[in-house]
Amino acid sequence: MPFFKTIRWVVWKDLISEWRTRETMSSMLFFALIVILVFSFSFSMDQDAARQLIAGIIWVAFTFTGIIGLGKSFTSELQNDCLESLQMCPAPKGAIYLGKVAANFLFMLSVEILLFPLFVLFFNLDVIEAVGTLLIIFFLATLGLSSVGTLFSALTVQIRAREVMLPVLLLPLAVPVMIAAVEATRGALSGDPFSFYSQWIQLLIIFDIIFTVVSFWLFEFILDS
Amino acid sequence: MIAIQVSNLSKAYGFYRIFEDLSFDIHPGECFALFGPNGAGKTTLLRILATLQAPSHGQFTIFGQDGVAQKDTVREIIMLIAHGSHLYDELSAAENLQFALGLRGQAPSPPQIKRALDRTGIGAFADLKIRQFSAGMKKRLDFAKTILAQPQLLLLDEPYNALDHDGVAITNQLIQETLDRDGTVFMTTHDRDKATQIATRGGILKGGHLQLLSSEQLTTDAIF
Repeated sequence: MPFFKTIRWVVWKDLISEWRTRETMSSMLFFALIVILVFSFSFSMDQDAARQLIAGIIWVAFTFTGIIGLGKSFTSELQNDCLESLQMCPAPKGAIYLGKVAANFLFMLSVEILLFPLFVLFFNLDVIEAVGTLLIIFFLATLGLSSVGTLFSALTVQIRAREVMLPVLLLPLAVPVMIAAVEATRGALSGDPFSFYSQWIQLLIIFDIIFTVVSFWLFEFILDS
Repeated sequence: MIAIQVSNLSKAYGFYRIFEDLSFDIHPGECFALFGPNGAGKTTLLRILATLQAPSHGQFTIFGQDGVAQKDTVREIIMLIAHGSHLYDELSAAENLQFALGLRGQAPSPPQIKRALDRTGIGAFADLKIRQFSAGMKKRLDFAKTILAQPQLLLLDEPYNALDHDGVAITNQLIQETLDRDGTVFMTTHDRDKATQIATRGGILKGGHLQLLSSEQLTTDAIF
């Protein structure tokens, strides 16, 4: 069974469905805009405090926005029992998992790229020199969140209280990624030399590898159960 | 080679036994119709054969492959048409076929897809999203999938539901084509009149036990 063709089909299906409904992206964007506005007004009187906290604010917004997208990733498979067809199709289950991760990663990264200029605008950030580094951090942290989030989305999709269970299960595991992402983003935004925060980027790479490999291996058992 | 070989198969949910010690063989070229009252376990048996559920005890093979230990191999040669249509609402009929067949490692050409849709009477709706399809049209699209996939074993759960007269005729014609190429069909149904037009053997699942029926017995009212 062609492994990469399966990944491509799953990504194609998720992207084309999202393009036609815009359900996931619009709810993610709407939530993130509210977060930005609330924090922006909260810190409007104290720009110094905002600069100290902006990395945390960015990743709170990105993570919770991502959870909205991840939650919808497998609920769309419940319509017409499509999850059943994924379960019994002869394609490698790991390829289906990677296809879902890739689609979720693209949704999350697209929203982050759309939102970040708003953070720059509302919090008056000077990011021109750090844009390249920030994109690498966004890429790595989003990959980590989508790889572990996709697994938990599949795990919780058949649970009645899935909207509650997904963040409850996912957030404790995502904390290391969030901490590494916040510290690396803080370093990049503060203009620190790369060596000052490169260990956090290395940590993100390690988490990405661990989360992706373990989730890839576990996905077949979760889908079949 | 036996198409479906079931040996002492049992299924229980906790202390509630659905069926126990089922044993039967189905050969290539046979269409087996399974009857029984609601809750008898017909769909459960079908889902076990489709590798979606594991049996509590016993074993089964599909064309010589163990249904539990070798389910990945089994999944390559079977196809299930169930109550859920397994179709994505936001994709068109043609796109759904491309996706479903793509996951089976097949790449049907647009003319092949068009022919399959034409044969099931929905060729004019190839570009229409599934969201706008009726239940009967979805069922026809499921059968278009089987035309392209050509599975060795076709598992059908209440295949005549939601189908009009033409739909039933198309379904039975496609079942006959599957049998003609030495494929096997296993269906669960309540519709004896329609099933007996095509079934070569059958059975009644009742009280957890299976009573096997010959083709002559399928049309004997006293048995049902």
